[in-house]
Amino acid sequence: MTQQQRMVLAVVLSFIFFVAYDFLLPKPKHIAQENNQTTQQPLTTQKANATPIASSAPAPMENKTPTPAGITKEQSDTKNIANIITPAFHAKIDELGRISLYEVLLEKFKTKDGKLPNLVDPSSPVKPLEIRFSDPALNEEAFKVPYTASSSDIKVSNEDKELVLTQKLSKVTITKKIIFHPNGTYSLHISLSNPVEYYVSPGFRPKEASDKFTFMGVLIRKADGTIDTIKDGGAKGNEVYMKANILSACDKYFATTFYNFKDGFDVYITKDAKEDPLAFVKGSKEFQLSGYAGAKSHKRLAAIDPRMTDIIEYGFFTFLAKPMFILLKTIHSYIGNWGWAIVATTILLRLVLFPLTYKGMVSMNRLKALSPKIKEIQKKYKGEPQKMNAKMMELYKKHNANPMGGCLPMILQIPVFFAIYRVLLNAVELKHAPWMGWIHDLSAMDPYYILPILMAGTMFWQQRITPTNFTDPMQEKIMKFLPLIFMFFFVTFPAGLTLYWFVNNLFGVLQQYYVNSIFKKEKEQKGVA
Amino acid sequence: MKSITLYLLKIYQKFFTLFSFGSCRYYPTCSEYAKWQYEKNNFFLATLYSLLRILRCNQLFAGGIDYPIVKMSLNSNTICYHNANTNKIIVKFWFVPKSDNDYYLIKTFKRNSHCLTK
Repeated sequence: MTQQQRMVLAVVLSFIFFVAYDFLLPKPKHIAQENNQTTQQPLTTQKANATPIASSAPAPMENKTPTPAGITKEQSDTKNIANIITPAFHAKIDELGRISLYEVLLEKFKTKDGKLPNLVDPSSPVKPLEIRFSDPALNEEAFKVPYTASSSDIKVSNEDKELVLTQKLSKVTITKKIIFHPNGTYSLHISLSNPVEYYVSPGFRPKEASDKFTFMGVLIRKADGTIDTIKDGGAKGNEVYMKANILSACDKYFATTFYNFKDGFDVYITKDAKEDPLAFVKGSKEFQLSGYAGAKSHKRLAAIDPRMTDIIEYGFFTFLAKPMFILLKTIHSYIGNWGWAIVATTILLRLVLFPLTYKGMVSMNRLKALSPKIKEIQKKYKGEPQKMNAKMMELYKKHNANPMGGCLPMILQIPVFFAIYRVLLNAVELKHAPWMGWIHDLSAMDPYYILPILMAGTMFWQQRITPTNFTDPMQEKIMKFLPLIFMFFFVTFPAGLTLYWFVNNLFGVLQQYYVNSIFKKEKEQKGVA
Repeated sequence: MKSITLYLLKIYQKFFTLFSFGSCRYYPTCSEYAKWQYEKNNFFLATLYSLLRILRCNQLFAGGIDYPIVKMSLNSNTICYHNANTNKIIVKFWFVPKSDNDYYLIKTFKRNSHCLTK
């Protein structure tokens, strides 16, 4: 093969690698049972937020059509009129026809005092299923007149249950028919006695799992299937998306979502005083959509619709993190432990790259015979690192040996690293996922610093047994301290990431020993012959 | 654009080479190659060549000495040294003809004080 042919091959292979992952893997059949299935225990715990704190109404928005009009009144002490219990959640509907409490029945998120994550924060500027009218007078009236519910207690187990909420205003009667499905989703059907312009919201984003590094705000899956995100503090307040099919307000692990894959809906975004996006969907006289609120669990979302998994947002590296998650998940379905799944993934990646590393190691060993010549060059060109490098390369080429791994494998490591990092940070499945022994949560730092120390140790070990030639004594010194620097660097990182790096180093070391032993044998055989 | 890229490359060489040190299979190293390209070639060609170089920098290729190739025509006075008559010419780059408008770009080795005092 000529140089060019090989180059084309390398380009094509790396291209195929990225593309194939993106298109082939995201839709496998899900065999595994997720272990975070919700338990069906009824809610005996405190009736959290039975009396919601007076929610500070959003600052009055300029009543620019077609954006929804703002409410200007204080809403205090809204009573709850209906109670919904399903296998997946426990919710309350207040007298303004909104969801005022939404507790996800997820055991692993239960705090020590038995509190469950509530996706509707009492102070949220807009609540799920809240309707706002363009007509300010009508809007004001709508926030005074209570709804009536067809039933005050709804229990969903195996079949759909219906709740009808009615509000009689002077000009119009609003009927919200909500059908709760056993899988945790609901269908919403709004009908009006006569047509007026109004907007309905999936609510403000949950405030249960927040941190600086992950996306929080509103996510829209547009008509063409691409994703747009508006993060908190970054809303312009006039964004409009026609015929979108998903509208989701989400924090790190949870989301409250509207979706309609058949007809789509028109999304209008306004903002509050903090420039956080408030999402609305424009309604009509007879209006229908589906909704889901809960954890962004891949399995659960995929069961609703494969397209729903698009609301799991990994940030810039989504295109890599998503396939990485699918790979981890597939392995997890066989192994049953996320920690071991990370270990297996690392080994798999190593095996894929093995032909490359092997080639590198072979030429490295060939180099050992050249060491006197290398020393000579190093002596001759001391103080002229560039010239020394050039001479060294000349020598390598002459003997068809090149010890360096190359920049491409180096650079390819970076996105893999970030992809795993994002998966650990964002995937709700990895939260509270144990590995073994002392690691109880792969997405949090190692509480006893064992993994970072092991990682630094293996890194040092690998450096020791890898023959390198330094042209600069300063660099050599820095390289020696690199494991130590990395150790402190990794201390606060998620344990799963440190685990990946540790296993990666460990297998690097084993590989090196393996190649070394092969060479030894070969030499011995030659000696005998 | 060019200066931003060169600046970023400088930062890369200062800090990140520590992590990736001793991995490049070529002379000049990929980052150095990119620097020369951006200095003397047009932006898009420089980007293209630098990317191809990084893709080539793996164990499937032999590595070794691989100088950047730049496109230019010698008719222009772009490379004319303006103070040529002061006879204190410091050569930074050599343009070694490859074909009509292509030149190998070779940077002279840095002479440091250590050598000069000898």
